[in-house]
Parts: sequence; C-alpha cells; structure tokens
Amino acid sequence: MDRHFSCIACGKCCAGWLPLSINDALENANLFPLFLLWTPVRQGAKSFDLTAKIGFTLKLKNRKLAAVRLTPMSYIPPQINCPALSEDNLCSIHERKPLRCSTMPFSASRDENDQIDLLIPRPGWECDISDNAPLVYKDKKISNPDGFLSERKQLLTDSEILKPFAQLMLDSKPALKMELEKMAVRPHGGNVVVGFLPLIHRLANVDINQFAASQLAVLENLIGITKENPECADAHKNYVQAAGELRAII
Amino acid sequence: MKTNLCPCGSGNDFKDCCGPIIEGSAKSKTAEQLMRSRYSAHFMGNFDHVAATHAPEIKETYNVSSAKAQAQNTEWVGLEITEVIAGGPNDETGTVTFTARFKENGDLHAHRERAMFRREKGEWVYVDGKINPQIEPRKVEKIGRNDPCPCGSGKKYKKCCG
Repeated sequence: MDRHFSCIACGKCCAGWLPLSINDALENANLFPLFLLWTPVRQGAKSFDLTAKIGFTLKLKNRKLAAVRLTPMSYIPPQINCPALSEDNLCSIHERKPLRCSTMPFSASRDENDQIDLLIPRPGWECDISDNAPLVYKDKKISNPDGFLSERKQLLTDSEILKPFAQLMLDSKPALKMELEKMAVRPHGGNVVVGFLPLIHRLANVDINQFAASQLAVLENLIGITKENPECADAHKNYVQAAGELRAII
Repeated sequence: MKTNLCPCGSGNDFKDCCGPIIEGSAKSKTAEQLMRSRYSAHFMGNFDHVAATHAPEIKETYNVSSAKAQAQNTEWVGLEITEVIAGGPNDETGTVTFTARFKENGDLHAHRERAMFRREKGEWVYVDGKINPQIEPRKVEKIGRNDPCPCGSGKKYKKCCG
C-alpha cells in the first residue's frame, strides 16, 4: 500500500515524550528536561529483534525474553508543548532539531517494512496525507530514506555506550530490574522513567557542573508549569526528584 | 606510632603502600596493588590516578568531573578484598573481587565488584568490572551411608551421625 505525507507544520505532534540521541540530549540540556526511558518489548512483537540489537534482552520469570530499549528522552507530559515550539507553531530550532524530529513521521527504532501505521496521523494532527502530498512509502520502502538511515546509524552508535551502561544499571539497581520485569509481562507493556545523571558519569567529555546548571533551570521552570495540573502529577514528581539530585551536585 | 595508615586497609604505612603508586613514583606489581591504589585514590579524591589506570578502550566512559561531583557526598569507609585470581607479577591478566563500603548522605552502602585487570605495555590497568557478581555456589560433598563418619568416631556414617 502507498502512503502520501506532507507536514503542514501544525505543531500538533510537538508535545509529550521525545526520544533523543545522546548527542541531541546533551546539546539541548538547556531546553529539554532530560530523563532515561526504558521500554520492554515482548517476544513476538515486530520490533523485538531490532530492539534486542539496539538495546538488550532480559530473561523473564515465565522463561520468555523481553527486549529492552534504553534511550535518553525529553520528558514532557503529553498535555504540554515542546519547549522549542514557538507561538507561530514553528520549530524554533528547526535547523538543528533532534534527529527524532527530522525523521518524522518515520521511526528508525522500527524496521523499514514496519512503518505503515506511523503514517496515519493521530487524532487532532493535521498532516496532509491526501494524494496531492508526495508519495513517501511504497511497497514497505521509504522513498527518501536519508533521514531514516541517519537516525538508525545514530541508534547503533549510541547503543555502544548505552548497552554496557544499561548492564551496569541493572546490576547495581535490583529495583530497576524488578520494575522492568513487571512492565514486560503486563499485557499492554509499560515504561520506566529514571533520571539522566547516571549516564553523565559514563560520558568522559561532559562537564557535569555545566550540565547540572542547565538542567536545573529547565526543571525548575517545568516544576512551576506542572505544579497546579493534576494530569501532570507523575512528571511533576519526577522533575522535583531530579532537581534535588542536581542540587546535590551544584 | 601508626599515624599514617594506608586507606586501603593493608595495615601498612601509606608511603610504603598505595602512596608511591598514586604519586607515580612506583608501579603496581600486582592487580591487587592497583586495585588497592585505585581505592585509596577514591578515598583521597585523586581521580586523575583512577583515570590514568584505565584501559585505553574504556577511557571514554569515565567522567572525571562527575566523579569529583559525586565524591562531595561520599565518604569511603573501608575496602575488603574477597578474592584474587591471577594478577601476580608474572601474569598478564587478573581478577580482584572486592567490597568497598561508603557513606552517602549519612547512609552506609556497599559497592561489590569483580574487577578485571590486564597488563598494558607492562603496566596493570583496569579493564572493566561486574557489579554485584554472582558468588559461586558452595559445593557440598555428599557422604555415603557406609563411609566413615566425618565426626571421627570411626563408625560408619549410617551408624553414627547420619
């Protein structure tokens, strides 16, 4: 089946959680609230093999495996717009926007032949998918795969850092492992969100003090925005905790 | 007078133990010596010694600025070496399993690791480690019913303690 797609810059997809490459995360430490997202994928799911390659596998009590992806992300509740979205609905960092954004609507964390449902706009999005829009996906192939391929390449490069880091985290934090195992057996899956700081310890060339100062400003702003909104209670709690960890460093 | 005991807990004077290795005036002869000196370096906040004794392939994964920041809330309490495999003066690789205890914000924690070392151009370097390693299960030898009893009575096991 063919899919047509054109972005009309409605800005509706610029909200909520945004997975980032390590580099995109560090470069935008003064803009995005950075956290780490762990996502188990059950055995038999389409993206299991790719997730196992980019991430790692976990043995479950039911003798099955779960593939787990670990990624940095900009952690913003779905009710809140991306901080880089300007008032005219355009991206204020368009020229240097994260790879995840420029690859939209495709996703390099799924196989090329497993993209078709991503090309159906979510409710409320105004993407042009009429026949007038350019043909972007035909016979399960992406017509212009440049963005997809560079995002995939980045995922594989990052996995060289993230895989040993994930192992270290699982070995040293049994509670995290238990939480992941719990999420992996739930029928609808689930995610685990943890703070970003432990990854900084593993990146030789990042100045932690500079990072902590940038992030603290971002988090304090969001703590204010999410304070009165009960829908954002989870995020608010995580922001407060992360801000506390950063203050301990500064 | 033992006023300058080495933080690594060897019972020796610092200047006869980890001191020269950290200062660079002596090289560690064994993997265990390097392990001890790296612990003492943590104790003293000398992260340059820690960074300098990493294998080349893991240098990119050690953040000195971040180690310094973490150290502000950490107080090292003691090192216990639980197992050493190879890593001697004539070995090329070695494994040291240890428990390092520390206080963080007043709470006592233990860092258990099986650390791998290797010789790089003749000098010991840290390669990587397994945190909270599985300890080999204790092997239990079974006593046959007709074997002499282990209590030393001289009777058969089945006639005695069995």
